Amino acid sequence: MLRLLKIEWLKVRRYRAFILLSAVFAVSVVGLNYIVYTQVGRLGDMTTQYGGPEGAGLGGMLIGHPFAYPEVWQSVTYLSSFLLFIPGLIIILLTANEYSFKTHRQAVIDGLSRRQFMAAKIGVVLVTSLFVTVLAVITACIFASAGSAGFTLAGTRYVGYFFVQAVSYMSMALLLVLFFKRSGIAIGVYFLYVFIIKNLLALLLSHKVSEGLGNYLPVKSADLLIPAPTSLGKMFTFNHPDATAMLVASIVWIVLLLWYCTYRFEKSDL
Amino acid sequence: MSVLSVEHISKSYRTVRALRDVTFDVPRGSVFGILGPNGSGKTTLLGIVTGVLNPDAGSFSLFGETSTPANLLRKRTGTLLETPNFYHYLSAYDNLVITSGIKGRGRGEIDGILLKVGLHERRDSKFSTFSLGMKQRLGIAAALLGDPELLILDEPTNGLDPEGIAEIRNLIKELGAAGHTIVMASHLLDEVEKVCTHVAILKKGKLLAAGKTDEIMSEGDIVEVSAADTDRLLELLRQSYPGQKITRDGDTVRLCFTGGGTDTAAVNELCHEGGVVLTKLLLRRQSLESMFLELVSTPSNDR
Repeated sequence: MLRLLKIEWLKVRRYRAFILLSAVFAVSVVGLNYIVYTQVGRLGDMTTQYGGPEGAGLGGMLIGHPFAYPEVWQSVTYLSSFLLFIPGLIIILLTANEYSFKTHRQAVIDGLSRRQFMAAKIGVVLVTSLFVTVLAVITACIFASAGSAGFTLAGTRYVGYFFVQAVSYMSMALLLVLFFKRSGIAIGVYFLYVFIIKNLLALLLSHKVSEGLGNYLPVKSADLLIPAPTSLGKMFTFNHPDATAMLVASIVWIVLLLWYCTYRFEKSDL
Repeated sequence: MSVLSVEHISKSYRTVRALRDVTFDVPRGSVFGILGPNGSGKTTLLGIVTGVLNPDAGSFSLFGETSTPANLLRKRTGTLLETPNFYHYLSAYDNLVITSGIKGRGRGEIDGILLKVGLHERRDSKFSTFSLGMKQRLGIAAALLGDPELLILDEPTNGLDPEGIAEIRNLIKELGAAGHTIVMASHLLDEVEKVCTHVAILKKGKLLAAGKTDEIMSEGDIVEVSAADTDRLLELLRQSYPGQKITRDGDTVRLCFTGGGTDTAAVNELCHEGGVVLTKLLLRRQSLESMFLELVSTPSNDR
């Protein structure tokens, strides 16, 4: 597996779109959190800017300390999860390249089994998810270090949820690109699903068929793993689905999607 | 011992039967040509052997091994199918690093192989900047990585200029002489005749003939005969030469003899004894070209 991942690394390290998108993602994660952080700071009576104890003002009392331990884990992963379509985009571009250069055929011709080829792609999904998660953890630590609350592992389950959510987004991307084989159409359908169809279908299922059924859609269940932190989403908090059920649904979907990807690739003519 | 043996392979696309029950063996050390017109199933056959396509029926074995997974055996082969497949944004060198990574080999041999195919000066240029001939040569370089026992080449001279074609043909001959087994597909009779020791001829997915090139492609003689009663002549000749190929073209009946030294007097005498008076008796040497055309244009019992 390590050998396969090394080969994948050789493919991406000089690929401009990969480098660019990775940078955009990293900057966006830090940037998005920073924007919310400054707004919260202002609301919280500008306490952080003036060096006073965090949330000492009236606003701070109202909204709490979203960027202090332990709540920072939930806040940062929740905010960063809105950007998880970018790693999905990376997966689509990398895999569509194999199809357009026909290097997927060449890899099989040169001695990879089809299963190994797919294992490499799934490996990329997992490793990228790991990097994305580490980035979120570092971001969380940076913002929390400005506050006075001491480091705590409490609430780090959200970091785990974030990892699962990242894998979900990228698994869906992998499925679509293996199905459509071209980056343009795969990206189109991916965005359509992630931004529109998923939410529309979830609403429709929950309202017309059975209450809460829409929560179990692929990627949707992963979205619901990390609820909006009370301090950030207090105004529109609704009954949040059970985290365990969503975790199980997400993992089942991931396994199903990745299994189908592998099955399809093993069966088809290249 | 055979390096590649293909057994009863069939493959259909939606409406086309690309291969029908194809069976042959490629002996070790041979330069084996798969000859056939465009659309005869050559690329499909090579696609199956290289693991890219799944056959509908039949099987193949590489190096006589049946228990080792096919993908591991493919690491001992070098293949160039149709167009060379590389990452456009990577340099020649980096692309070969990936190929040797897949084959499970080090980078040590890459520079030597780039020298061999004449691309060493451009080792750091991106693949997308290469001309067609250079791309093809890089494809051959990738196929040569790891000193493979079996080389599989699909139309290796396709799209090259005459100089490039001569270069590639020489390279193939050299490799063949050095003991590599080479399987190459081609629609060029001349190419197969020049470089191949063995040949298999495909037409519409059916194997018409397979064996040593000089046996299959031996230049033969054609005896053209005519008589007043063409039907009677045809019948008589078919009875007298049951093994030979006999075709009728209007008033003329053609008898094919492989090898030389055809005795036209014997044909004349035979017809005379059979009560047919020949109005024409002509001996022609058959060229390879017409032989090939004849082989692939014979109406075979298709459906």
